[in-house]
Amino acid sequence: MTTDNTTNGATSGLGAAAPVIGLTEVSKWYGNVVAVNDVSFEIGPGITGLLGPNGAGKSTLLHMMGGLLRASSGSVSVLGEPAAGNPEVYRKVGIVLEREAVYGSLSGWDFVRMNAKLHGVPDADAATKQAIARVDMEYAQDRLTGGYSKGMKQRIKIAAAIVHDPQVLILDEPFNGADPRQRLHMIDMLRAMAREGRTIVFSSHILEEMERLGDRVLVIVSGRLAASGDFRAIRRLMVDRPHTFRVASSDNRRFAQALVGDAAVTAVELEGDRLLVRTNDYGRFTLEAPRIAQGAGITMRELAPSDESLESVFEYLVAGVRGGAGEGS
Amino acid sequence: MILLIASVTLRQVGRQRRMLLLVLLALVPVLVSLLYRFAATDDAPDGHIQFASGILATFVVNLVLPLSALLIGTSALGQDIDEGTIAYLIAKPLARWKVIVAKILAGWVLTFGVVLISVVGTGAIVLVGEDGFSLVPAFAVAVAAGSLAYVVIFVALSLRFSRSLIIGLAYVFVWEAIISQFITGVRFLSVRAYTVGIADGLTEVSTDILDRSLAATPAVVLLSILVTLGTWYSVRALTRYQIAERV
Repeated sequence: MTTDNTTNGATSGLGAAAPVIGLTEVSKWYGNVVAVNDVSFEIGPGITGLLGPNGAGKSTLLHMMGGLLRASSGSVSVLGEPAAGNPEVYRKVGIVLEREAVYGSLSGWDFVRMNAKLHGVPDADAATKQAIARVDMEYAQDRLTGGYSKGMKQRIKIAAAIVHDPQVLILDEPFNGADPRQRLHMIDMLRAMAREGRTIVFSSHILEEMERLGDRVLVIVSGRLAASGDFRAIRRLMVDRPHTFRVASSDNRRFAQALVGDAAVTAVELEGDRLLVRTNDYGRFTLEAPRIAQGAGITMRELAPSDESLESVFEYLVAGVRGGAGEGS
Repeated sequence: MILLIASVTLRQVGRQRRMLLLVLLALVPVLVSLLYRFAATDDAPDGHIQFASGILATFVVNLVLPLSALLIGTSALGQDIDEGTIAYLIAKPLARWKVIVAKILAGWVLTFGVVLISVVGTGAIVLVGEDGFSLVPAFAVAVAAGSLAYVVIFVALSLRFSRSLIIGLAYVFVWEAIISQFITGVRFLSVRAYTVGIADGLTEVSTDILDRSLAATPAVVLLSILVTLGTWYSVRALTRYQIAERV
């Protein structure tokens, strides 16, 4: 297992066994716009999450893994075969795209059954029944998919993608539009599929989804692989960066003086009725701040990270990628 | 597989509002024929034959046929491309030619169904019990061939261009309706001319419009070449087709 805030062309060996999906020096560009830039990684069985902000290139990567998009350079393989221009690979691969597209004139049952038939599943009715049950959609299977809510469409799309019992399942932003209950159900379902030895790759721009589902995470920023590893390692990488906290106390000036003396604190600034405290050690600071306050006889009313948004985390990682690329050149 | 994709396409395209408009358009020559039947005086002995062949070769073949094929043909596969459902066809262990053949088949059936309303309606009103009734089966077969050729062209256009409807409109109204009528040599490259040529070859009835048409043999040969090349192009384009990740 590796965790690397790496440079251009980062390679990450995520699977111990032979990779199910392999990308080697893959780039994709549209005219002058580079969507994916020299990315290499391998994915093995289990759940792997692609985490990154919107427009980072996650969808492009998933489309290439699914053979729907050709790489401008480099190679993409799935189960040892080239992904693009190889319809036979879909016998073992299922894909759920982000777009809400379904055949609105078909019922949920007919839609899933159509996919079973097109996959050449021998007993299409049994497979359809099983797939629809797996996404908990039996209650709406006879209604036209055109009238489904976003979450229902998402689930029927997943049923259509798993109806041929694929070894590899690729999902682009699968939780969009799902309510919390549906989300939990989907997470359970994907986890169960992973336990059966399948390879599941999904993308998300939401850290919490990644935390719940992504055992292994690839962080994609600006078309590059910014970091990879298990979620806890990625989380730590994100945490071990300079942080800014917003602090309110009974005596801000005195508290500022006390905080400056701590090794974890790099700067303190007074902003209105709050203190902005910068630290390079998240864990130590959150433990020490209350103690320091107590020692100085100050009541701490608020301690909140001011830059916890995912965007700020990505900004930090982007800076890392750019810095790394710069060093490498 | 082909029939499955074709039947889904029939439902998908058949329930569009544009189908209702096309059926209304197909009924226009039928209404004109009714008007003729009630209002015309029987002066000329072959007046009804000239009228029927005129309305079939101009109104139906020049307008109802290409417009129906355009609206249906560009959406048979174009709708999948626009809405993203094409992924369900492409991400399957399925030869691409089967997808194209299924889409053409569905587009053809729908187009022919619409145009047949005009042909049979007009024929039934103007020619039943008259000498020139063989015009009706002749034009029915001819518009079947014409529908196929047009649908092949518009399926290919929808794969190549995102604004295939506008490009198709320009082709129908500039090339087929104007240029091919006025420049004699161009009729060898006109589906309208092939269609009328085939009708002419299938009936003994002689009318001004049919007499001026392309001979049946070159019409069939050229139309077959067009259908083959167009289908081949679409299969090739779909094989190379990539789904953009844009949402």
